[in-house]
Amino acid sequence: MAKTTQRAATSGSLVSLAWRNLWANRRRTLITLSSIVFGVFFAILMTALQDRNWADMIDLAAKMGGGHVTLQHPEYQDAPTLRHSVQEVSELAAAVEGAVPIDAVRPRIVGNLMLSTAHESFGAGFIAYDPALETSETLAILNGVAEDEGLRPDDRQGILLGTKLAYNLDAEVGDKVVYTVTDRNGEITSALCRVRGLVTTGAPSVDASLVLLPIEPLREVIGYGPDEANQVAIFLSDQRSTERAVSALVSALRDDVAVLGWNKAQPELAGFIAAKVGGAWVVEGLIGILVAAGIFNTLFVSVMERMREFGIMLAIGWSPGRLFRLVMLESLWLGVVGLILAGLVTVGPYLYLEKTGIDISKMLTDESMEIAGVAMAPVLKVGIFPMSLVIILGAAMFAVLASGIYPAWRAGRINPVETIRLV
Amino acid sequence: MSDSPQQANSIIRLNSVGKVYQQGKLQVTALDGVSLDVEPGEFLALCGPSGSGKTTLLNLVGALDQPSSGSIELEGHNLERMSRKELSELRRDRIGFVFQAYNLMPVLSAYENAEMVLWVQGVDPQIRRDKVMGLLAEVGLEGLEDRRPNELSGGQQQRVAIARAIASDPVVVLADEPTANVDSETAIKLLDLMERLNRERGVTFVFSTHDPLVMERARRIVRLVDGKVQEDSQAA
Repeated sequence: MAKTTQRAATSGSLVSLAWRNLWANRRRTLITLSSIVFGVFFAILMTALQDRNWADMIDLAAKMGGGHVTLQHPEYQDAPTLRHSVQEVSELAAAVEGAVPIDAVRPRIVGNLMLSTAHESFGAGFIAYDPALETSETLAILNGVAEDEGLRPDDRQGILLGTKLAYNLDAEVGDKVVYTVTDRNGEITSALCRVRGLVTTGAPSVDASLVLLPIEPLREVIGYGPDEANQVAIFLSDQRSTERAVSALVSALRDDVAVLGWNKAQPELAGFIAAKVGGAWVVEGLIGILVAAGIFNTLFVSVMERMREFGIMLAIGWSPGRLFRLVMLESLWLGVVGLILAGLVTVGPYLYLEKTGIDISKMLTDESMEIAGVAMAPVLKVGIFPMSLVIILGAAMFAVLASGIYPAWRAGRINPVETIRLV
Repeated sequence: MSDSPQQANSIIRLNSVGKVYQQGKLQVTALDGVSLDVEPGEFLALCGPSGSGKTTLLNLVGALDQPSSGSIELEGHNLERMSRKELSELRRDRIGFVFQAYNLMPVLSAYENAEMVLWVQGVDPQIRRDKVMGLLAEVGLEGLEDRRPNELSGGQQQRVAIARAIASDPVVVLADEPTANVDSETAIKLLDLMERLNRERGVTFVFSTHDPLVMERARRIVRLVDGKVQEDSQAA
């Protein structure tokens, strides 16, 4: 029965017919498009805000602490004492560089001490680092040190204090302080230092309890060898590759070293971010469902209004499958146009928020300035991961197409006898 | 009632066709044992009062509905034995429809509406173009090809519908009150057109109608009353 069949010719026309049908009711189409644009705009900006800020916060946490990946003694996590150290850190660093692509690897000693001046005594946490190796690129805390202050590589007596700690101790730059620490053998030992600078991180709890020391003199004080540390901080170019790096290092490194991703080393921060990200996905999911329900409603009403038209098409020989494809193509057009418009509407605000951001410093109190010991950025900026963008656009297109399936099926199931009148 | 004798070369053959509709708890008999043969080239009018079964009969012949009893054959094919897909193809390739309310696609031009069946058939675009342009000229719509239905008069829309109906060279055109929505002057012109197509192209037309103008032109009149053929007569 069929005559010359040239599917290429007809499929192009079906696409064109779907496009025209879409604009047969311009107002309805514009309303539907606006809901797609709103949903995608909201999802992209919300996700971009999270992607950028959580990534920055994770990087900052890594740079304030033990890196994206931390190597330490297997028992250090449960019993964080100076006794649990790692030997031959140079050899370990070389092995790390051979196993995974990294930005930097730095040995450190971290722990607690008691700090005293002539006026006061306070407990604090310390990070001992190599001033010759480390900059703010790997130890972000150094950003909080004034330019004319800090530890020189050859400084054996220097110490940096958090601003609030110095205030509590009534100490100033140039003053002498004494720290007391339990060494690797459990003996209490002390050293005299001179304050070379003050550190302001923006996180109040950190500023009240932070001490930075040069690593080499501390090794001698606590009885460590010259190639010994209790933490090796590894920095990656992208925090999202942390899990992959951990897996690779676990199999590449010796057994007397524990490998921890930042999320394991800082579970409080990881939990906070996971809760925020999860909450945001729930909100975005709910908005997505509402938008999809709106699109479904529009498409369904559009099909119901065209029952007679579809009945005629079936009567003159359209197959139910072709009608299904027509309505699905209308959905596809809605999705394509909606995503293009969403892109046009989103790009301006996105670029502004990426470059300028929103200053929230006036809205933050001292307590809300930090999350799990990491200072929040005072200016919120956006930066979306390509994969997040792909997921959002894919989900939006899926929602639009899924919304069209039932109306399209209904269009093909219309009984022409009921929708047209032959006599 | 006088059923017509069955002819060997009939293009449409109804054998004791019955159709019963369920309306709530009531069973309504729309057609009751109708037997009818339509031969190629006929210009046949189905007439009768409202509720006599004209609509139902055209729906059944047009493969839009299934009979409750009896059988319908189109060019020897028993419609009951055909799948949904085959029935779609049958309507597309062998039956033309002209509706009372024109029922053109509002988003398509006159040309595209007339082209639609050929397009669905997958006919080569150039062949389609030549054929449709010729048809539109034949039905008197030259120069109006690009107009949308809302830019055409009722008579012009019905001409487009006729062009659409005959574009695929169907074996029969089923016309639903084709003159009901137009004035008598336009009705005469439409009948002239269909008569000419019937005479020159040999297109078989089956109308359902109340219009005396149509009945005057019909060469065969089948009168239905209460779902039965009451009269089947040839014009003089």
